[in-house]
Amino acid sequence: MSGAGKRFSKLQVFSDVELEVGEREVLAIIGPSGCGKTTLLRCMNGLIPLTEGEITMEGEAITSPREGVAMVFQHFGLFPWKTVFNNVAYGLKLAGATRAQIDEKIPEYIKLVGLSGFEHYYPYQISGGMQQRCGLARALAVEPRVLLMDEPFGAVDAQTREILQFEMLRIWESRPTTMVFVTHAIDEAVLMGDRVLVLKGRPSTVHEIVEVDLPRPRNRATLLLPRFAELREHVWNTLMADARQAELEVIR
Amino acid sequence: MGSEARWARYATVIVSLLVGAAVWEVAGRYTSDAFWATLSSTLRSLFDLLHSGVLMRQVASSFQLYLSGLSLAILVGAPAGMLLARVRWLRVALENYIMMLYATPMVALIPFILSMMGFGFAPKVLVVFLFAVFPILYNTVEGARSIRPELIEVAQSFRSSEWRLWFDVMIPYTLPFTMTGIRQAIARGLVGMVAAEFFLSPSGLGQMIMMGSQNFDTAGMLAAILIIVLLGVGLMDLGRYIENRFAAWRGYKP
Ligand SMILES: Nc1ncnc2c1ncn2[C@@H]1O[C@H](COP(=O)(O)OP(=O)(O)O)[C@@H](O)[C@H]1O
Ligand SMILES: [Mg+2]
Repeated sequence: MSGAGKRFSKLQVFSDVELEVGEREVLAIIGPSGCGKTTLLRCMNGLIPLTEGEITMEGEAITSPREGVAMVFQHFGLFPWKTVFNNVAYGLKLAGATRAQIDEKIPEYIKLVGLSGFEHYYPYQISGGMQQRCGLARALAVEPRVLLMDEPFGAVDAQTREILQFEMLRIWESRPTTMVFVTHAIDEAVLMGDRVLVLKGRPSTVHEIVEVDLPRPRNRATLLLPRFAELREHVWNTLMADARQAELEVIR
Repeated sequence: MGSEARWARYATVIVSLLVGAAVWEVAGRYTSDAFWATLSSTLRSLFDLLHSGVLMRQVASSFQLYLSGLSLAILVGAPAGMLLARVRWLRVALENYIMMLYATPMVALIPFILSMMGFGFAPKVLVVFLFAVFPILYNTVEGARSIRPELIEVAQSFRSSEWRLWFDVMIPYTLPFTMTGIRQAIARGLVGMVAAEFFLSPSGLGQMIMMGSQNFDTAGMLAAILIIVLLGVGLMDLGRYIENRFAAWRGYKP
């Protein structure tokens, strides 16, 4: 991704975004709400065009959604009239899989995300956490080489969120893919990412890229490492510097 | 609701219907036959009409008209509604006409249709169609427009073609709204049917009412009206049943 910028008529959301994501690397992107994280991902997915610069994948410019890329949506994006099974099968069906392939593969992914037994439930009958498991299974089922995650656990309660983070780490270990993981939670960014990209400013730009040298596989124990605390503190300072400045000015 | 409360409800409904029947009967006794017939003579008349086969013939004729107009309204209204929702310029171009026609009492158009198309079957179908199509069109457009853009984006993200997007997303999402429109159309189509049978070439149940009225056969007229009332009630229930069946997933709150 180079020199990337996006504007909606008058609003310049981000500009001069330069970044590269290696194969099987997890890039966490963090930034305050409304800074353009979702917009950036939509551009990466090819859902909307950039206004400046370009994004390439495997040497080709992205102009429309590509094969080999799958997105997990902030608000799950499940089809309410489809059962869990049919939601998970959606992407695979569109990719032209046969009935037999679907019947073989889908239960495997439903099991992977821990939804076995809920195949025939409708989204409104299951909790938010389970809905996002379903969204994740739908993306994984097309066996993407690149996963785009848009605050996947942002809309679930704190406890479920923690459970899902460790599930996600486990799933990633079992099938590592390139992943762009967008979040506004600092812990989550440091826990998931090989690098954490801090998006900041108006329009947003890449403020800093922090290397996360925590060992993998990561799990609950990772949270207790002193290095984890250091990195989190560092990202916190980067992210909050201006916010605190502003706050102090208001107090004075 | 406890079973006792339910019984109380049923009892109230039954008593209410019985009182209504009694009032009808008494009112018939104390008024001239030219105005109002007793329930018993109405039922007798209904039985005679049934026996002679006249009733079935007229009901069949009305139904043919009704179903033709209603089916046409569904076949045109539902797809057109979805198209209008998805194609912005088409909607902008047509929405004023649709609002105008939706707001117009369709009876006002009947003389115009008469002078344009005469007395055949087609103009009558057109009247039923016009009565029925707008609720379907309107509810479908509003429904299809309320679809969350995120769901369309999901489809695009998984590389759906435009027509698969219609098939997988637009149609299933919009169907419950269309069903609401169809339920309204079922009632309005019935009004259209009677209006067409009154004002264009007389036929069916509308003709029975008119003839009853002209021949001072009040019992025959009331018999035809009673049938229309029962049909209306039955069709509304059917409509509500269909609507609920298609709306199971609406328990979902986005
Ligand atoms: N389709 C759009 N048209 C106009 N403005 C938009 C559109 N989508 C997003 N925006 C604006 O772009 C900014 C960034 O939004 P978004 O990418 O959703 O932020 P984030 O995901 O970081 O919370 C917001 O100010 C939002 O109002
Ligand atoms: Mg967002």
